[in-house]
Parts: sequence; C-alpha cells; structure tokens
Amino acid sequence: MSIKLFELLLQAAIYTVTISVVSILIGFAIAIIVSAMLLSRQRLFALQARIFISFFRGVPLLVQLLLIYNLLPAIGINVPSIVAAIIGLSLCTAAYQAENLRGGFSSVPAGLVESAEMVGMTPVQIFRRIKAPIALRLTFPALVNEAILILKASSLVSVVGVIELTRMAQDLAGSTFLPLEIFASAGLIYLVINWIVALAGGLIERSLPGVPR
Amino acid sequence: MKAHSLLKGLVGAAFLFGTAVSAHAADTLAAVKAAGTLKVGTETAFAPFDYIDAGEHTGLNVDLFAEIGKELGVKIEWVALPWDGVFPALEAGKFDVVAGPATITKKRLERYRFTPPIAEATIAILKKAGDTTISKPEDIAGKKIGVGKATAQLDQLKEFSETLPTKVDVREYPAFTESYADLAAGRIAGVANSLPNIAFVASQRKGTFEVVLPPFGKKSYFGFIGLKDADHAPLMDAIDAAMLKIKADGRMAELQKKWFGASFDTPDAVKDPAF
Repeated sequence: MSIKLFELLLQAAIYTVTISVVSILIGFAIAIIVSAMLLSRQRLFALQARIFISFFRGVPLLVQLLLIYNLLPAIGINVPSIVAAIIGLSLCTAAYQAENLRGGFSSVPAGLVESAEMVGMTPVQIFRRIKAPIALRLTFPALVNEAILILKASSLVSVVGVIELTRMAQDLAGSTFLPLEIFASAGLIYLVINWIVALAGGLIERSLPGVPR
Repeated sequence: MKAHSLLKGLVGAAFLFGTAVSAHAADTLAAVKAAGTLKVGTETAFAPFDYIDAGEHTGLNVDLFAEIGKELGVKIEWVALPWDGVFPALEAGKFDVVAGPATITKKRLERYRFTPPIAEATIAILKKAGDTTISKPEDIAGKKIGVGKATAQLDQLKEFSETLPTKVDVREYPAFTESYADLAAGRIAGVANSLPNIAFVASQRKGTFEVVLPPFGKKSYFGFIGLKDADHAPLMDAIDAAMLKIKADGRMAELQKKWFGASFDTPDAVKDPAF
C-alpha cells in the first residue's frame, strides 16, 4: 500500500475525529439540559426528557441518520450531509450521556448534601461545590467510554453522504483491490485514535477534584 | 429547549411523511441558476461512471457533468451516497439530479424522468480470468453470482435465471465494488453488471477478470435521473438540451471513447424500455 493511500485514510480520519468531537460536545450540552429535566420535580419536564431518551436510545443510529437526512426536508429543513451527521450523532449520544449524568447526580450521597445544608450553604453553592464535582467524577469514565463509542459509530454517517474513515477505506479498497491492507490500516488508525482518547481521559480523570482515591 | 423542539420536529415530520410536498422553490432551474450550483447525487462505486481513483472522484459522469455545467453556466456539487439511499434522497430534495447512472426501466419511468441515454446498459457476466467453467452466459446456472442491490441488473439477472435449468445463486451487494472484490477473492463465480462497467473493470484488472460474451437479455440503456414533477421540468428540459448538444457536437462520443474504449450509438430518448 502506498504512502498516498495512507495519507488519504489519515485525511478521512480527521473528518471522523472532527465530527465525533463536535457531536460529543454538543451532545454533552444537550445531556446536561435533559438530565436536569429528568431530575426535575416538574412531571411534564421529566416526561419530555424520558420520551427524548427513549427515542434516541431506542432507535438504531443508522435509522436516526436516515430519518434526519431524508425526513427533515419534508418539513422544510434541508440540512447538508455533514450537519445531518452531527445532529444524528449529537442527539444519540445526548440520550446516553443524560442517563449517565442522571446516575451520577443521584449517586451523590444524601448525607453530604444534608451536611452542606447544615453549614448554611445555598443551593447554588451546594450544586457547584458538592453535587457537580462528585457527579462529574462519577460520570467521567462513562463519558470517555461514550466518546470512544461515538468515534466508532461515526463510521455510520457515510449513509448520509459524509466520506469519513470507513467510507474512504471502502472506496479505496474498491478501486485498488487491496481490501486487506486498507482495512487493516483503517482499523489501526481507529485503534490509535481511541487509545489516545482513553489515555487523555485517564489523565484528566486523575486531575479531577471530587471523590478522593 | 433545542433538543425538545427538534424531537417535536422529528415527530411532526413523521406525521407529515407521505403527504409532504417538496420544500423546493417552484422553479428548480431558476433556483439552480440563482445558487450557481447544480447538486448531483451519486454513488462513487460504479466504475467507469463514478469511482474513486486513489482518492479522486473521477469517471465519465464527472467529465460529462462538467460539460453540462458549462452549458448551464453553473458549478457542479457532488453528493456521494450508498446506491440504495440515492433515490429517497432525490425525492427529499437533497440534490437536483442523480448521476448514477441508472438503467432506464418501465418501473423507473413511472416514477422518475430520465435524461437522454449516455451508454448501453445491457447486462453481461464478469468472471475470474482462466475460469473455464463459464464460457457463455448460460453457464452461470447454479453458480454464485454477485450483483448490486436495488439495481436494474438484479432484475435482469433474476429474469435470466428463470430461463435456466438450475437457478442462479444470486448474491446481492450494497455496491458493485464489493462484488468485484469477492470475485477476486473467489467467494463468488461471477458478477452480473452492464457491459460497459465490467468491460472497464476487466481492462483495469487484466489477468484477474475476464468478460463473458455475449451480453444477454434485452437491450437497455443508462440515463441520468431527475424528478418528474412540474417544478423540476424546466431544469430537466435544460439538462436534456445540454446533453443533446454535447452529443450532437461529438463531445459525448469522445467521452465514451475515453471511458469505455469505444463510442456507443444511443437513441436521443428512451420512451418504451424493453423491461
């Protein structure tokens, strides 16, 4: 396999990483809102959050992507391929991340919160100093896990016309008849990217405040 | 709440599906000219029409649409999708026309509009070089033959299979390139595709593949595809006119020679395909 082919795979990998990172970040922002709704005492909010999660966790990502790409134009929103891919990945990961965050927040020991109330902390202070750091610490490993899952799931976005790493590998394998070398290289690139994500995740996790080791 | 309204949008879209009308501007030709870009949908796994040569999108379609773009005074923007996703996306208005190309069939003419044909699409078999068990099309009886999913070649192969003493073991692939890879790897005995396609593959991979002649079944042609509705009529008329001009001044024959090694005599329009 030539250097040129490997370069093309690396270029496509940049696409894969960009789409995944943007989707994880947008997904995290949505997840914060959805998890807050889930934990809300307002029944209606909680219900809406439940419906959101059920849908995006219950429908296969491939189907979601095709729905967003082909169905949104029916109501007058015609999004380009790359936007459809990011919307699909973001909403899907948001559903999973919201559940993770909910788990994290509900695992904050009630005793800690009560103690904080006893010493006269305001609800905002309790959230900022007690709940949020502990919940973040508890959910961080799951977040890294989710990032890796999304990086791999991004191989599906070629169905809406985005040429990412997997699709590039397929195209190259088809035109060069070197499927073994090309898919092995693509696999290696995915492995290295995810290894870096896991490594960085581990480093960040150790520097997080919160529950002591 | 962004997520929530999006969800509502999706649910709304699900209800609207079926009754929805195209959200396009009324006259697509005017819209295309105003945008300065003609969006063309295709799959990049159908050499020599559309394929990736070391990362570059290339083929007859790319050259031909470059000429059509010149005639219309617009740029060409390509959108590459898996073949079975191309028609739904065309109907959803993701692009203005499909390059494909697709075999002109009765069923497709009911739903879509075709441009003047660009090549003959009559089906033939590609086999591994030196495979003596297949020397004529009838020899594929009982053998594993690869073909593209949701393609007219699939229908043609099935029809041919019915005429044989033992039926063909038809293997459907998302893209033809994958079937060629399986043929090279010896997982299937042959690939059924239109003659220009497999002739090109065989010429690129001498010593690996061979074409089984003659082509079989009824004569058919390839054309580009657009929507049939009134909104798209001016655009499709303009593309037809551009293509007929390109054909009349010899540019079409030149491109056919470049990509197929020979030029084809094709009718100006196919109104009543053989199947």
